[in-house]
Amino acid sequence: MTRFRKLGVAVVTAALAAGTLAACGGDGDGGDGDGGDAKTLKLWHYESANSAMGIAWDRAIQIFKDEHPGVEVQFERKAFEQIQQNAGMIINSSEGPDIMEYNKGNATAGLLSSQGLLSDLTEETTKRGWDKKLSPSLQTTARYSDKGVMGEGNWYGVPNYGEYVMVYYNKDLFTKYGVAVPTTYDEFTKAMDAFVAKGVTPLAEAGAEYPAGQLFYQLALAKADRKFVDDYQLYKNPVDFKADPLKSGAQAFADFVAKGYVAKTSASLKAEDMGTAFISGKAPMIVSGSWWYGRFKNEIKFNWDSFLFPGNKFHAGSSGNLWVVPTTSKAKGLAYDFIDITLRPEIQALIGNNGGVPVAADASQITDPKNQKLIENFNTISQQDGLAFYPDWPVPGYYDVLVSGFQSLINGSKTPDQVLDTIAKPYGEGVKEITGK
Amino acid sequence: MAVTLVTDRAPRRKVGDRHHRGASRWIVLALVTLAALAMLVPFVFMLLNAFKSPGDYSSSGPLSWPSEFYTKGLTTYWTEVDFPLKFWNSLLISGSVAVLAVAVSLFNAYALGIGKVKGRLWIVGLFLLANMMPQEALIYPLYYAAKQIGLYNTQLSVIIIFTVVQSAFGTYLLASVLGTFPRSVLEAAALDGAGKWTVLRRVVFPNVRPTLAVLLIFFFIWTWNEFLIPLVMLIDNSTQTIPVALASLQGDRLMDAPTTNAGALISLVPAVLFFIIFQRTLSRGITAGAEK
Repeated sequence: MTRFRKLGVAVVTAALAAGTLAACGGDGDGGDGDGGDAKTLKLWHYESANSAMGIAWDRAIQIFKDEHPGVEVQFERKAFEQIQQNAGMIINSSEGPDIMEYNKGNATAGLLSSQGLLSDLTEETTKRGWDKKLSPSLQTTARYSDKGVMGEGNWYGVPNYGEYVMVYYNKDLFTKYGVAVPTTYDEFTKAMDAFVAKGVTPLAEAGAEYPAGQLFYQLALAKADRKFVDDYQLYKNPVDFKADPLKSGAQAFADFVAKGYVAKTSASLKAEDMGTAFISGKAPMIVSGSWWYGRFKNEIKFNWDSFLFPGNKFHAGSSGNLWVVPTTSKAKGLAYDFIDITLRPEIQALIGNNGGVPVAADASQITDPKNQKLIENFNTISQQDGLAFYPDWPVPGYYDVLVSGFQSLINGSKTPDQVLDTIAKPYGEGVKEITGK
Repeated sequence: MAVTLVTDRAPRRKVGDRHHRGASRWIVLALVTLAALAMLVPFVFMLLNAFKSPGDYSSSGPLSWPSEFYTKGLTTYWTEVDFPLKFWNSLLISGSVAVLAVAVSLFNAYALGIGKVKGRLWIVGLFLLANMMPQEALIYPLYYAAKQIGLYNTQLSVIIIFTVVQSAFGTYLLASVLGTFPRSVLEAAALDGAGKWTVLRRVVFPNVRPTLAVLLIFFFIWTWNEFLIPLVMLIDNSTQTIPVALASLQGDRLMDAPTTNAGALISLVPAVLFFIIFQRTLSRGITAGAEK
């Protein structure tokens, strides 16, 4: 007993002594890199090492090093949550990175740009031709007004990859039940009727997280045009929640539940549950985003494929996260060089070949047929200017509003009309706060 | 803890009553066993899923038995977050905080509990208030203060913050303990010509040592598990602690359940080892008050 206590005291004392030393050491080397002509590039992102972006950006760092001999790249992989919560505090200090990956959208990149924490990239963008590589709907999330509203204004970020919502389906289950793969919205509902008739719930859903809101948005987009998307996302004109397309979207969603396409029990499920229901081969279809693609490719053992949501010209989706250069960056020139490298065909092809969606890729350079399909579909949407962003983007805190709204539509405690009422009010208030109108 | 003491002692004192107490003792035992099992369930799930491949987890769910003994989650976590470094950082911060906070608590409590300070009830109440403040409310002031004095992104900043936060509780607790310290002992010491410093060192300290040991362990474990303040103050990977490293496994829209479980398993081991080593001290400290 005494020995244990002595051991404990010794351990703690040693830790304490070392702590004081280490803390002093940490104090000392805080100030390097002030020299003016930068010899280091501090680079942060939060993609996992084996993801498409992780692999491609590793290569981009390698190319950067080859082209900038004598420059040291200090790369750190950060926790998503740390950047999400603290980005403002981090880049407002001298300890922040010279370039980092950051979330697109009004509440994130938009907010920081309006606070003057992000460098204006407009000049570099035109000089280096980044604007020519990115389609208009991809540019939307890169440009922010002085109030931090996306769509127009200066460039504050550069996306490398895209994402979009599609329908994943289990080929084996379609064959087993003799259901044809749909190409139109009518065929889509007929296919789901066929599954219901066989006692199978055709669509796995997740009412407790983003998937339900995205399904509603997809259904609404069936009757939408670019004007609606601009009104809803960029506040060009007031949006009437009691008119199409939102009204028909909510009605279609309610029909999905009434006809048994979506299980009532999915009201409390999470996105992960929906994903695993598909991976385990229980659900014939899910409507969700390209972020699942890599995981499905690695983990699914049956035959599966995907198609764009049938009949829609517009699809939920956007550019991926952005490269941003903090105002406090001590190596802005090097940061721009790095962004330029990530948009090169070689890096873009690498993203595509590893299951990501490159923004500026040549589909012919993609070797794997599954990846090719993913990118072709994205290029189709991108070329018809069909990225409609996400339903929870317009106002801060709207994600939770949508989740609770569609949860009550799935479990039948509210009618479509009531749900539209509950989601219209916070939207109106939020828009008023942003635009002042 | 208290329950084990009861079951430990009951047979010795109540030998004669054994037949009377028989039934209720078995019921208590059964309830304790049930509670212990319920506490173990999450750990069992963690163990089960830590050794499962991601594909296996996705297709058969969290409840199934792993189809293969999969250790890549453990090794991935270990190398990707550089676990030895994070472990050292956590140990450094928690160890320093535990020792410093106990020292500060003892000095504060000596002044408040034994010395005659006016309005000490209010001072003690203030300390407790500081401890009850949600950390979210403290984070911005702390961030700006640390930035101004150049301690942002150093472990020293976290050590200072938690020394203060933990010693607030320690002061409250120790001041109440020392408030009941027998005056006669102190007077006797004073008669023998002992100064304030000698009284603290020779009389008070030996008597409250078990309590201090318990505080030390609590401070260590509490600081070890802290998440928010280290997340905000330590932005370089080389300075971060284990809970922050664990958070890096959670992505934007995707999660990797098996690796997260593996990470949680590895991260739990040091805390459990620490507890096992100091477990004796802990139970001794709790009973110390009761014996007198």
